[in-house]
Amino acid sequence: MFTKVAMADENDNERMDGDNQKLEKMFTLKKWNAVAMWSWDVECDTCAICRVQVMDACLRCQAESKKDSYGKQDCVVVWGECNHSFHYCCMSLWVKQNNRCPLCQQEWSIQRMGK
Amino acid sequence: MSNKNTINSMNNSGGLKTVIDLDQIWGDLNCGIKQVYNRESMSKKRYIELYTHVYNYCTSVHQHNNGRGCSNTTKNKKSQVAGGAQLVGMELYKRLKEFLKNYLIRLLEDGLHRMDEDVLKFYTVQWEDYQFCSKVLDGVCAYLNRHWVKRECEEGRKYVYEIYQLALVTWRDNLFKQLNKPVTNAVLKLIEKERNGETINTRLVSGVINCYVELGLNEEEPGAKGPNLSVYKESFENMFLEDTERFYTRESSAFLAENPVTEYMKRAEQRLLEEQRRVQMYLHETTSERLAKTCEKVLIQKHLELLHSEFKQLLDADKDDDLGRMYSLVARIPDGLGELRGLLEQHIATQGLAAIEKCGEAAHNDPKIYVNTILEVHKKYNALVLVAFGNDSGFVAALDKACGRFINTNAVTKSANSSSRSPELLAKYCDLLLKKSNKNAEEAELEDTLNQVMVVFKYIEDKDVFQKFYSKMLAKRLVQHMSASDDAEASMISKLKQACGFEYTSKLQRMFQDIGVSKDLNEQFRNHLTSYNDTLGIDFSIQVLSSGSWPFQQSFTFGLPSELERSVSRFTNFYSSQHSGRKLNWLYNMSKGELNTNCFKNRYTLQASTFQMAVLLQFNVADSWTVAQLEENTQIKPDFLIQVIQILLKAKLLNCKDDESDVTINSLVYLNLGFKNKKLRVNINIPMKTELKLEQETTHKHIEEDRKLLIQAAIVRIMKMRKVHQHQQLVAEVLNQLSSRFKPRVQTIKKCIDILIEKEYLERTEGQKDEYKYLA
Repeated sequence: MFTKVAMADENDNERMDGDNQKLEKMFTLKKWNAVAMWSWDVECDTCAICRVQVMDACLRCQAESKKDSYGKQDCVVVWGECNHSFHYCCMSLWVKQNNRCPLCQQEWSIQRMGK
Repeated sequence: MSNKNTINSMNNSGGLKTVIDLDQIWGDLNCGIKQVYNRESMSKKRYIELYTHVYNYCTSVHQHNNGRGCSNTTKNKKSQVAGGAQLVGMELYKRLKEFLKNYLIRLLEDGLHRMDEDVLKFYTVQWEDYQFCSKVLDGVCAYLNRHWVKRECEEGRKYVYEIYQLALVTWRDNLFKQLNKPVTNAVLKLIEKERNGETINTRLVSGVINCYVELGLNEEEPGAKGPNLSVYKESFENMFLEDTERFYTRESSAFLAENPVTEYMKRAEQRLLEEQRRVQMYLHETTSERLAKTCEKVLIQKHLELLHSEFKQLLDADKDDDLGRMYSLVARIPDGLGELRGLLEQHIATQGLAAIEKCGEAAHNDPKIYVNTILEVHKKYNALVLVAFGNDSGFVAALDKACGRFINTNAVTKSANSSSRSPELLAKYCDLLLKKSNKNAEEAELEDTLNQVMVVFKYIEDKDVFQKFYSKMLAKRLVQHMSASDDAEASMISKLKQACGFEYTSKLQRMFQDIGVSKDLNEQFRNHLTSYNDTLGIDFSIQVLSSGSWPFQQSFTFGLPSELERSVSRFTNFYSSQHSGRKLNWLYNMSKGELNTNCFKNRYTLQASTFQMAVLLQFNVADSWTVAQLEENTQIKPDFLIQVIQILLKAKLLNCKDDESDVTINSLVYLNLGFKNKKLRVNINIPMKTELKLEQETTHKHIEEDRKLLIQAAIVRIMKMRKVHQHQQLVAEVLNQLSSRFKPRVQTIKKCIDILIEKEYLERTEGQKDEYKYLA
């Protein structure tokens, strides 16, 4: 039915794809240039403290680190045990006054930090 | 001998009084003075003799003339000395005055009948002699000046002068009064002769002028230094200026009647220069300004309308030299340039519009032609303003205004029915320049061209539109590795940053960084795989972009082909080990790859989009599918899937019984085993039409939405500061705040105010029309 033109070096690839039948394939994958977008894994994408999107640096950092083009990398997100998320910079100022989550009033403790 | 006597008499001044009568000395003194005025040579000794005569006379005490001075002598030593020299001198002074008067009356007789140059020669020669002799006389009478005259003046007596001054006054009263009219007339005639091109003896003129200047005595304040120029102004300058005005009124009208304006301007320029030199040569420097004013009035101001009308023609004919000349002439007239600026602005705008119109259809879609056409017009008139108009700030402003006008509204924007066409085309031009192609310019040349782009950018009103399109195209260039040069990209971003600030380019910059970060990430991922002795079986690379900075749509629904699953999962694991709290969203529509074919006569490499790959890989399982089946297997939305299939049909990889344009969900498609292509690497990844169109539309829609937010933000900023504000002023301030980005429509601003009232940021002031209050 189909002519087999597969070459020897194709065999390597095919062995890798265990669930496909060898030599039968019309097309073999050679190369893939993927594009992906990362974002913080948050429920609400706005920081409730500074009202700026968590993907962007918080207001303070935006105002201060204009010269530093890598400044954004430093303004990370923090998640509390309550699963609410804020800019780390914003939250660390907040807890100085009130050690509760501004959204749910639960005692604030850090679950994880963005990196 | 007599000198010695005097000293003796001085020493004995206590009681002994030597009386020297005027007649005793006058004989010899008169003789000596005559000698002076006859300009006979005089020995030093003789000069001293004459001086001594005056001294002796002045120091002798005339008791019968002054009893008071005498009685003082015994009482007060100080006043005795002063009193001794006090009032002696009147008689001598009178006789000197008489002498000068007689001398001049005789002189006048000689001069009265003379005319023109003759009178000038006579007057100047006599004046110079007289001036010199009077200075000598003044020296002879120095003692008189120092004591008697000084005292008289101090006591407020008028019409008593130092002897040199006396000589001048006498000349003025006797000779000048009679002769000044013919003399001045003769001078004016001479000047007119010179204006008519004849050579004249300028010594004659300068002699008279010197005399007139010298005669301007400060009679009210004899002590004041220097002449006050009253004589010069009254007897010469006023007439001279009248004469000048008459002369040039006549000349300019006559000249213009027979010559073109361009020639006239040369003439006027030359005349102004001549008059300036005239002042330097033989007139008093103070005349310079008034003369220039007079000439400018007659030569330029009177013909201003004519010049203005000529200006347009000169612009049309590109006569840069003449334009420069006109500029320098008209610049002399206060407020003369305003009209020219207006004309220039109009002209440049018209030229710009015409140039774009002339390009016709080509300019509408070819960014290169469009931008270069604009640049040519700008370059030409920028040079004109720089060279001919001396970079005059008013003309620079006119150029800027005109460029702003024709760049933002012209044939191209009109046919596109939006002023945002200009920034769009400019951004596209940047894309052409920065994208990898076989005609990329050299680094230096590219930098130059980018600077040119910034020239146009400066005039763009809708800078936000440029930003949108630019970031879209930059994103594509970066993701598809199509940038010709990283340096050039960075340089362009920094130029934009310089022009519009940090905020304008922050996303562009972040995009640029993401690409760098991704490079490292790929490297790390490869190392990670090697260290675990793992391979993906395909050549895998990835770019991880930060969301929010890239102008990409979120991904479409898609069922990942099993062949790719492994790569995705391996990488996802790796990525979350590197970063925490992040999630990845795969942009399959931006991803692409290569497939090797095993089913055709030749072994081809197909460069394909991920969706195409997904569809083609289905044919590893079966050799024909209905579109509906493919949809189920790939999860690609039907309308989108049909487009993917259409492209594959066009590329002759697939076949279908239905016509390419009639493919439906029920069509059956099968692999075309007879596929042939001249090249072994085939790019089938061509952008889909709807995708492109959609992109354009969303870009424009985004711009509108973003603008509304910017306008609202501006309103809130202003109202927060003002608390209460009038509608008109608020609109004006919003327009002003946003002018560096775009020009909002008033209608949109009104809409935004309404939105803010609804959101309770503002409220209308009760009972006040068109006034808003800020609600904190």
